[in-house]
Order: sequence, then structure tokens, then C-alpha cells
Amino acid sequence: MRRSVIKIEGLQKTYGSGESAVQAIKEASCEIYSGETVALLGPSGSGKTTLITMIGCITEPTSGKLYLNTQLVYEGKWQVGDTRKLRRENIGFIFQSHNLIPFLNVQENVTLVPQMNGVGDKEANARAVELLEYLGVGDKLDKMPSQLSGGQSQRVAIARSLANNPKIILADEPTAALDAERALSVMQLLKKLSTEQEVAIVVVTHDERMLPLFDRILRVEDGYVREDPKS
Amino acid sequence: MINLAQRDIAHSLGKFVTTALGVGLLVGVVLIMIGVYRGMAHDAMIVPNDIAPDLWVVQKDTLGPFAENSRLHEDLKYALRGFSGVKEVYPLTFQSLQITQGTKPIRIYALGYEAGGDFTPYALVEGRAIAIPHQEVIVDTKTNFNLGDRIKIGRNSYRVVGRTHKAVSSGGDPMIYMDLDEAQELQFLFSNEQIRNDRARGGNAASIDTVNAFALQLAEGHNSATIAQEIARWKHQQVYTAEEQGEILTKNLIERSAKQIGMFTVILLIVSSVIISLIIYTMTIGKMKEIAILKLIGASNFTITKMIAQQSLLLGILAFIGGNVFAHASADYFPKTIILIPADALKLMVVVIIVSILASLSGIRTALRIDPASAIGG
Repeated sequence: MRRSVIKIEGLQKTYGSGESAVQAIKEASCEIYSGETVALLGPSGSGKTTLITMIGCITEPTSGKLYLNTQLVYEGKWQVGDTRKLRRENIGFIFQSHNLIPFLNVQENVTLVPQMNGVGDKEANARAVELLEYLGVGDKLDKMPSQLSGGQSQRVAIARSLANNPKIILADEPTAALDAERALSVMQLLKKLSTEQEVAIVVVTHDERMLPLFDRILRVEDGYVREDPKS
Repeated sequence: MINLAQRDIAHSLGKFVTTALGVGLLVGVVLIMIGVYRGMAHDAMIVPNDIAPDLWVVQKDTLGPFAENSRLHEDLKYALRGFSGVKEVYPLTFQSLQITQGTKPIRIYALGYEAGGDFTPYALVEGRAIAIPHQEVIVDTKTNFNLGDRIKIGRNSYRVVGRTHKAVSSGGDPMIYMDLDEAQELQFLFSNEQIRNDRARGGNAASIDTVNAFALQLAEGHNSATIAQEIARWKHQQVYTAEEQGEILTKNLIERSAKQIGMFTVILLIVSSVIISLIIYTMTIGKMKEIAILKLIGASNFTITKMIAQQSLLLGILAFIGGNVFAHASADYFPKTIILIPADALKLMVVVIIVSILASLSGIRTALRIDPASAIGG
């Protein structure tokens, strides 16, 4: 049975005030379910990043409602005391350039989030090894990020995003820095994850070739979000 | 939980250690400045401590013989010996001189005393005391003269018969010890031409039986303050106890220099604080992306603050260790005495720790302002 993991109702975001005010998101409403892969498409400056940072509780909306895992997170103001804790416990992030912490090795990059959540070292390490093996980089545990290829780094980044067993993964152009072959491989991996682990994955992308891999496509244009009729 | 500060330092260890050692040089200079002050206070007391009198008799209304000029007739010694409780009276002269060693000029401080007796106002490390008071001297090792060397002082040449080690004046000049008669000639005897001129003018040549001070040793059981009062009253001279002379030397004589060094030390500490602060700030700016990622994946402010504060603290501690090593390694190469004592180092460590923590505040403030959204995007 599908569970709602992200629900936004009339979400708006305005930067600045008065005459210099810029409405980045004029109206966004949608619902995303567990196990879904959703592409967020739109031209540069359309508000994709603003939308994803609002869903990720990084940017505070101006108005509207935001639910994560059916919990009301925003309505006029944050409804949770610690948004960082909420993020740490519920959301995984994947970035355009892998953005691994350069001074931590592969295993430490993955264990950091569960450890911050209070998971013991032994359990966090076991989870990291399991994930890294699952993603095909189990032999790179002691390597530093600078010693990995782009594809390997992105796999480690995916492992890190999964380390806290999130129900939501927000990915910002995760294949932009990869060649076509590796990009396809990473997208297939994300698709597999969403199916096997029932994770809702929202991916900001420009790559139209990847669209067949998504369950749904949301287009962000002129500050409005609408479901792509083709999906 | 992974220690982020430790991992970050390990990742760029060379850079961190080099930075810490750079700051360490500054800390070392602060320590040396404190050592210079300690050295001054120590040097000032070397000669009085070697002479070790109970009382100093000097010219009335002066702070002699070290802080001010003092002149007394040598024959006053007979009168002083007559005071009840006075065991020994040692007439002394003190004089700053410049001699040459090869072609190199050396500033020295000459002490004249009645050689040949039991009184030896120095601690020999080699050679012997002046046995025959005839053109023999004892020098400090710092002059670089060796036993048997001949030194030209004034009109005469003197042979080195003994050496002391680290015997210097309050100004840091190495000591040279000579017989009183020869020291008096050196200090008070006019040139032949001036004596001739003085005679032609009908005057008498001035007596050279003059000294700068008398060092008195008292018999056991006698009160030094009482005897000092008696001498001052009946002989109209200034009398200081050993403690009072010590006070004059360490307070009056070096007070201004001590203040100067104190101000330098404070300025250096401020400069060190600013530099540590700038380094931590720069280190934080260099990690803006990583801090944004950490915040985005949920790291608390405490985790980020701890990382920066620990690095700052470690930088301070490493700088302190480096500074100590530098100060101890270089102390002996300074021309003046540098005395490094653990108590000063401990106090400085506390200051460095406080400065490091305060210095980390600017970095922490910057880190906490970083927008986690900046981690998203290319």
C-alpha cells in the first residue's frame, strides 16, 4: 500500500520584500508516495532548487503547508523544533558533485549520519559496509574521496544518503558530473533502491534521456509546479 | 562518534603543523621576553649574591654602588671595623669598561677587591684566585678569554688566572675581578699629563684611595638594622641591608626595562591572538563547503562548534609546545641571560588556551552563519 511521504499544499517562497521581492515559488502542491521516483524538471532559475530545499527543510517557505511522513512540518512557521534533526532522521541528500567530506574516508562518510543520530559505532559501521557493498564500492572502505572516480564517489554519496534509513531521498542533479554510461548506471541504481527499500526519490534533473526511468515527472515553470501530462 | 577535528587535521597534517609551528615561534618569542625579564632580575643579583654582605655602606644620599655613583674614602674601613658587631669590612670598586679581544670590543664590568685574602667575591670554575696582587685578573667565560691570556686594560696588561661562569653585571656585561689597588688606579688615577698640569696650577694630585662601597659582614647575633642605623648616624653614610640593596637592584634599576619588556610581551600576546584568530577564520572559510554539507546532512551546531574549537585549541597547544622547544633551544644563543621557568610556561599555556578559545569564536560565528542550501548546486 502506498504511503504519502511528501505532501505540499500551496507552498510559496518569496525572497526579499517590498519592490525587490522575488517570488521564486508562486504555488506548489503535490503528493509523493513511498517507493516512487519523481523527476523535477524545469529551466534554470525556475525554482527547482528552492522547492527541493523547502521539502528538505533547509529553506523556510513563506506560506503553505508541508507534510513529511504525514507529520505537519510547516504551516506559516516550522512546526518542528529542530529541522536539522528532522533532516538527519528522515531525509537523505545526494548532490550534483558528490560532496563527500574530503577529510573522512569512504566508510566514515557513510557512518557519520547514523552516528550523529546516536547509533553506536559498531552498528553504524556494519550498516555502512552493507550499503557500500550493495552499491559495489565495498572494496573502497579506507579510501579517501580524492582517490575515487566520479561514479564511485556518487555511489558512496548514495550510500551516505541511505545510511539513516530515510523514507525520502532528495537528489540535486546527481548525474550531472557523470558520463552517459555512469549516469544511467546511477539512475538505475536509484530506481532499484526506491523499489527495494520503498524510498521516495525526488531528483532534480535536466537530462531528458533519464525520464523513462521515473514514475512521475513534475515540471517547475515560472514558479508553478505541475504534473507532466506525459507521465 | 568520529572526531571531525582530528580527521580534518590528519587530512592536512603538514599544513596544520607548519601553521602551528609558525604561531609557536610567536609564542616562543613571548616566552623569551618573559625569560629576558627573569634574566635581568637574576643578573642584577649575581654580584651582590656572590659578595653576600650583611650591609652595604655607600656615599650619603645615594643609591650606590649599582644604581648610582658612590665614592667613599678607603680609610673609612678602619672606622667601620671599629663598630660593635662588624666582623669584616671589604672595600670595593665597580667600573664599566670596554676592552678588546682581538679586534672585537667587549663591554665588561670590573670589580676591585682586596685580593690575596680569604674574601673571594666570585665562584671559580677553573684556575685560581688572585694570589699575588700584581696584574692578575679573573674573568668570566663570556669574555672568551682563556687562562693565561693577557688583557690590556687601561695602561697595563693583565694575565687571566681564573675563570667564572655566568657572572655578569645587572646590565648583562661579563664580570672581571681584579685587585683593589689596580682597580683604583684604573678608575681614579689621572693621566701623567693631567697630574703635571694640576701641579702647575698649584693643586695636589687627587688621592686614588677611594672606593665605591664597603661590603660588611656582621658577627652572629647582631641586628643588621641596628648597626646600619649606628653607622649612618656616626659616619654620615648611607647604609643598606642586603635586602634593601636587592630591592634597589630589582625594582629601581630594572623597573623601566621590565615595564618595557612587559609591554612588548602584551603586544606580542595581542598579535598572537589576532594571528591565531585569523588562521582559524581562514581555516573555517576554507571549509565552508564541507560545513554546509555537514549542516545539510543534519550536523548540529554543537558538532560544528566542537570541530572548530578543538582545532583552535590543538593549534594553540601545538604552538605552545613548539614555542617552548624554540625558546629552550635558542635561549643560550642570546647575548643576555634568558631564564625560562616552568611557572611562567604554565601561565603562558593558560593564556594560550584562553586566546585559542577566544580566537575560535570568529571562525565559529562564520561557520554557524553558513547556509546549508549553499551545498546544493554545482
